[in-house]
Amino acid sequence: MAVFRYAWRNLWRNKRRTGITLAAVTLNTAILIISYSLMDGIIKHTIDSVTNMVTGEAQIHAESYRGDRSFYKSISNPEKILKIAELHQIGASPRSYGYGLASVGTKSAGALFWGVDPAAEKDVFDLAVNIQDGYFLNNSSSGGIVLGKKLARSLHASVGSEIIVVVQAADGSLGNELYNVRGILKSVGENIDRSAAILHQEDFSELFVSGGRIHEIAMNSKGEMALEEMTAVFNSGISNLEIKNWKELLPAISEMVNVFDVVIWMFGAVFFMAAGLGVMNTMLMATYERMREFGILKAIGTSPLRIVGNMTAEAFLLTIAASVLGMCIGIAGSYFFQEVGIDTSIFAGSFSFSGIAFDPVWRAVISLKVIILPVVTMCITCAAASLYPAIIAARLDPVRAIHHV
Amino acid sequence: MGEKKYFFKVLCVCFMVLIIADQPHVANSEDLTSKEILDKVDDLWRGDSSHGKMSMTITTSHWKRSVTIEFWSKGKDKSLMRILYPKKEKGTATLRSGNNIWNYLPKVKRVIKLPSSMMASSWMGSHFTNDDLVKESRMVDDYTFKITFEGERKGRTVIEITCIPMPDAAVVWGKVVVTVEKAGYLPVDVLYFDEDMVLARTMIFDDVGPLGGRSRPRKTTIIPTDKPHESTMILYHEVDFDINLKDNMFSLRTLQK
Amino acid sequence: MLIRLAWRNIWRNRRRTLITVTSIALGLGFAIFFICLGDGVYYQLIDDGVRMQAGHITLEHPEYRQAPAIDLFLKKTTNLRKRIEKIPGIEKTKLLILGQGVAKSGTGTVGVAVIGVEPSVEIKTSPIAKKIFSGRYLDDNDNAKVVVGSKLAERLNLKVGKKIVITTNDTSGALTEELCRVSGIFKTGAEEIDGYLVQAPISFLRKLYGLTPQGATQLGVVLAKPDIQESIQKKITAILSDDKIAVYSWQEIIPELASYIKLDKGSNIVLQAILMFLILFTIFNTILMSVLERNKEFAVLMAIGTKPILLKAQLLLESAFIGIIGCFFGVLFGGLASYALQIHGFDISNLYSDEMSISGLAVSSVIHARVTVSILFGTGGIVLVATLLLSLIPMKRVTTISIADTLR
Repeated sequence: MAVFRYAWRNLWRNKRRTGITLAAVTLNTAILIISYSLMDGIIKHTIDSVTNMVTGEAQIHAESYRGDRSFYKSISNPEKILKIAELHQIGASPRSYGYGLASVGTKSAGALFWGVDPAAEKDVFDLAVNIQDGYFLNNSSSGGIVLGKKLARSLHASVGSEIIVVVQAADGSLGNELYNVRGILKSVGENIDRSAAILHQEDFSELFVSGGRIHEIAMNSKGEMALEEMTAVFNSGISNLEIKNWKELLPAISEMVNVFDVVIWMFGAVFFMAAGLGVMNTMLMATYERMREFGILKAIGTSPLRIVGNMTAEAFLLTIAASVLGMCIGIAGSYFFQEVGIDTSIFAGSFSFSGIAFDPVWRAVISLKVIILPVVTMCITCAAASLYPAIIAARLDPVRAIHHV
Repeated sequence: MGEKKYFFKVLCVCFMVLIIADQPHVANSEDLTSKEILDKVDDLWRGDSSHGKMSMTITTSHWKRSVTIEFWSKGKDKSLMRILYPKKEKGTATLRSGNNIWNYLPKVKRVIKLPSSMMASSWMGSHFTNDDLVKESRMVDDYTFKITFEGERKGRTVIEITCIPMPDAAVVWGKVVVTVEKAGYLPVDVLYFDEDMVLARTMIFDDVGPLGGRSRPRKTTIIPTDKPHESTMILYHEVDFDINLKDNMFSLRTLQK
Repeated sequence: MLIRLAWRNIWRNRRRTLITVTSIALGLGFAIFFICLGDGVYYQLIDDGVRMQAGHITLEHPEYRQAPAIDLFLKKTTNLRKRIEKIPGIEKTKLLILGQGVAKSGTGTVGVAVIGVEPSVEIKTSPIAKKIFSGRYLDDNDNAKVVVGSKLAERLNLKVGKKIVITTNDTSGALTEELCRVSGIFKTGAEEIDGYLVQAPISFLRKLYGLTPQGATQLGVVLAKPDIQESIQKKITAILSDDKIAVYSWQEIIPELASYIKLDKGSNIVLQAILMFLILFTIFNTILMSVLERNKEFAVLMAIGTKPILLKAQLLLESAFIGIIGCFFGVLFGGLASYALQIHGFDISNLYSDEMSISGLAVSSVIHARVTVSILFGTGGIVLVATLLLSLIPMKRVTTISIADTLR
């Protein structure tokens, strides 16, 4: 205990040096925590952008549906799956798809019609709020239709336009109906922009005489559940169905996220080295400047072990204080960026890239990892940088140490 | 993209045969013979205009349905079709004039124009695409002909003519084999082979009987080879050829009638 | 005299100087490496995206963008190219026809996007030319040849050498069709490209769509360096002021990619700022400490009558030397590290298992840094200036030292 008391006094003896060192370690630790949480935030942001809009973290289809998108390959027992999802508190949205023709005035274009449950869609995904003009569908069926951005443009359709829809129904007959354009989506991705025409499930079922067929159930726990866990939950309850996570559904984007992940990881490494350098150099200098002091200590008969012991105690106190302080500032900063976020829309308008739309607000993500990693590594760097010169000093001849420059 | 889209363009399946038959070019003596035979087949449906009724039965692995259609045609590029049955779709009509196709939908009382991108879609859910049926006789230069069999087959004396597409012709088939009955030169079947010379679809003509004033096969069935349980069958109830039809018969106004 | 003194002085305490120099050099090095890495990734994104489409700058019929139609095409492209290619900084120009159509084989029919390209221009840069997995890419001598995506090939049961008929409406609206043969099949991993895209030689598509012999819906301008885009776009617009031709930047043609890159650039700027702060703080700390530890020395110097202004000048010179040396090594270290990454690249697919081996079109899996003179000297300059400015702060204190107290 005496060692610590001595170390404590020693630290206060040269307030300026201690202050600089303390500031260096604190600040580097704090900045590292904030940067790591921001970097984690980018990755999560990218993944969220992919999954929250419309794709979800996983989707269930009938086996081989994704191959040919045949109208007849529907999910045999969607209620059961929805029930499992509810039980595990996973958001789930059932969807039906069918091809057909949409026409406004003299313009017409092929479209992919979606039958959705608007309440579930609003609850689980962001598509419903990603509206450029007008509104998303009402929760009860009302003869409204929501169009993809480019589809609306090619049909010269605007909110309120009357749109004629012609499809081949499930019984082979010619299904046709009039709808009113209720909303037009913002850019979501090429496929949806160009072809999506979204109907209420009941309207869809009537148009396609489909008897409520469901082709897809998209699930989103909003990051609460790991992908493997989610797959496992449903795998036990389904047969003749396949469950795919978003990485399998969107391999190109998943790969982009991987690339991104590595780039961010490299960023993190650079940050770590920069922060480590800051701590190490400040510490090294602070210790080297005390060579003379060590020499005198040695000259008056202090054992080398004692010197190293004193230094260890000092470094320990300093590092603990700095880490705690750095951690507090770091967590506070990260928390700020987690809650408030950085609005990147000052750099651009709406974002969509290769099938995913981006939320412009970039938020940090605090996890134990981003706190522990900087604190531990900074402590180690700190200890190494202060002990190494101390050990050298302790072993030096006192006269040389005193003259050491 | 879906291959199941719908709509009409017209003219009967026999177009396929008609196209092949409408053959001006010449080669050796054997070719002449085969061409003559195909000319005879062609004569069956030759006419500047037509009007008639037919029913089409489509069988797929998911549903089966029949529609009865009244049709009018004039020249090569004007036609009008109107559904008489089933009741749900009664009055639905399709007009083709040149390259444009319009549909009239009585339920919503609107006319819509078929975009060219829909040409790849299935015609009325049948095993034809709109594009199949829009095919015009510019394919006449596309094939060379050869008699490859002559004799008895399934109790009938038939002639088999193999049509090989010209190297540059815009034809997806590897070859098309037409079989006609020697007596009366009535078509029996047409086999379409893909490039690997694997059978892709079969068209069968039967139910020979009086139609439009002479003996003709009244039933045409098409079967895609990869889905042997599916088929589209067209049955002609009555056809009149070379009747007097005015051009304004094929207008948007008539379509909405 | 003062210079020599300062120079000698910094080597008097070699260790202190080394630590300060290392702080600056490594810090600057990291910053340069970081910026080069980020820049490289965005550069690659832009380059992939831009090269696949119609270049950095795209020329079109003025009405095309609003309602794309095949009859809105550029006519005298040979002359147009000649005039534009005179502008220095243009790597090349390329002609494109973007059309729609229906592809048909004995197996089925599928609606497709048909793109007419100049094979010899495209083959060097187009990601599609690089992703051919069966057969070969197009050739300038090819006539009725196409390359198709793997998903499309699957659906139409196509193999290299097989027939495919393309049906479409020509410029007059008439239905037209041509037989082609498959020259190659590509696989990009992006479903909407692999299942939907057909590329053919532009000369062949001119016939199919009924365009004039020089006709193209797009004239793309690929720049040697993307940074000169704005000035070149202005020059092109000026040259074409009498022609009725619209000039667009790639940001207008592919706004999604543009905004994505802006978003990323935004987050990168934030990170760069944080890193810069971190580094400058370290430099400041080391300088501050090294100056403060020398209080005694300064007190002695002032006690023997050195003028404070001279002392300050000497200190500033010392900082300048340390700053210059540090920045020199920093630029060298950061530049070399980045250059190594630029040349060799880092294939991240090595980090992932085989199941992830499909190569997406979105981003190439090999990460390259991108070193530019402006990054090297810009960052180096900022750090050097910042070092000098930061060294002014502790210097102020030097003259206020109480000689008597310090010497005691």
